[in-house]
Amino acid sequence: MPFDAALAELQSVVGRLEAGGLPLEASIVLYERGVALHDHCARLLGDAELRVQRLLEQAGGALRTIDLAPDDPTEG
Amino acid sequence: MSERDDRPWNAWLEPAGSDELGAVEPDARIGPRIRTVAELTRLVRERLRAAPDLRDVWVEGEIGQVSVSAAGHCYFTLKDERAQLRCVVFREERQRIAFEPQTGLRVVVHGRIDVFEQQGHYQLYVDALQPAGFGDLALRLEAMKARLAAEGLFDAARKRPLPPWPRVIGLATSETGAVLHDILHVLRRRWPLVRVVFSPCLVQGDTAPATILGALHRLARWTDADTGRGVDLVILARGGGSLEDLWPFNDERVVRAVAAFPRPVVVGVGHETDVTLVEFAADVRAATPSVAAELTVPSRDEQRAGLRSLRGQLDTAIGRAVGTQRGVLDGERRALEGLRPSAVLVQERERVGLLLDRAARAVAGRLAADRALLARRGDRLPLLVEGRLVRARTDLHAATGSLAALSPYATLERGYAIVRRPDGAIARDAADHAPGDPLEVRLAQGGLDVRVERVRDSAS
Repeated sequence: MPFDAALAELQSVVGRLEAGGLPLEASIVLYERGVALHDHCARLLGDAELRVQRLLEQAGGALRTIDLAPDDPTEG
Repeated sequence: MSERDDRPWNAWLEPAGSDELGAVEPDARIGPRIRTVAELTRLVRERLRAAPDLRDVWVEGEIGQVSVSAAGHCYFTLKDERAQLRCVVFREERQRIAFEPQTGLRVVVHGRIDVFEQQGHYQLYVDALQPAGFGDLALRLEAMKARLAAEGLFDAARKRPLPPWPRVIGLATSETGAVLHDILHVLRRRWPLVRVVFSPCLVQGDTAPATILGALHRLARWTDADTGRGVDLVILARGGGSLEDLWPFNDERVVRAVAAFPRPVVVGVGHETDVTLVEFAADVRAATPSVAAELTVPSRDEQRAGLRSLRGQLDTAIGRAVGTQRGVLDGERRALEGLRPSAVLVQERERVGLLLDRAARAVAGRLAADRALLARRGDRLPLLVEGRLVRARTDLHAATGSLAALSPYATLERGYAIVRRPDGAIARDAADHAPGDPLEVRLAQGGLDVRVERVRDSAS
């Protein structure tokens, strides 16, 4: 799940929980979901490594990407 | 020379008529005077040197053959469709002039006309040389800007907002130089969740516009093989430079390609004063390539802080939800206890205990099913499974606790109801009420707002 989608759902979960008026069990389910979303987002932020690819056009016009090494983006 | 071919080779020696040379020395009319080549050449040279409009000359043309002597002087011809002009740039001037003459280039040169006697050439002694149009570059820029602006290419209404959460950023810049490195550095530090698709191009020189067009075109038609998604936005960047260096970013084709690009384009050019036309056409203009990178992505630090805050809100909200419900239930339980003989309550508690057992079994069963499901997904999501199981166990305890708090509901399930007055007090005695009094009835599911029809005493 991409960061932005997880964050949007987390914000919605927090909003619904804060609005109150939900049965206890529904609140707990929401809370559980919120914690899972939070952890997912935090993990994405912590683990991410920039992925850099170079776009190549092959004979015939087909496009291809090749990963570039993080240290030296001009070689790869 | 060709227009003179029909005249005798020595026609210019004739002293008669309005011949300019003849006019110089009236004595020549007496009879043919034979001059030496050196004399005549000197004469020509002096005439040319004396002409004020030949001492300070600007001339535009195309550079023909170029040669550089061992001494470091540069010789070239300047030509147009009808004539040629010999030009020389002395070594000292060459060192001063930034621009080196190259065959085929269209240039504007400045200098004086003089004669090189040994070879009988008149030539232009060049002291300044620029690409043609360079002098009025600013003027051409303004004219093009006005024309493109009139087309609406630079309208604010055309500018598209940047997507707040780009997943793939297209990057068009030179693969040499600091700009690529700077941009990747910023993205790596600020938002490494993004993916960069780098499409190299030249950003300087005559061929640069064509390569920029190619790079943009490739970025526009690239899609990820798995997701089918293309780039979310494009950064077009280059370092600083002179107006001449930046010229590819004023190329009309590049300007139009940026304006027509299917996704938002951020242009970052490292300069301070001149703004290129591409920047006017861009959806977002950044002061430098690094700033361009900054503008395209969220900040990891800010998002971390935001997540921490949301986590806090979650905990606060769940605490309030549990507390509120517990408060309501506690109140109702106290009300029931006040109404019922304690012996009945004991029975009720036994019933509640059975209900709790049943509920615990049900929850455990659901957890087991979840666990099996998670185990099947486990090869893909090992971390999530472990985390969820831990939380699920915690939640089982929480659920058990909340079921205990639900015991008054079990009483209501049996068909009892709680009747309250509008002020919240429990209704205990019919005699306290009159027809038309409003009352509130709490049932196992929901409640009723009712009015008293008739009051009966305990005997009826």
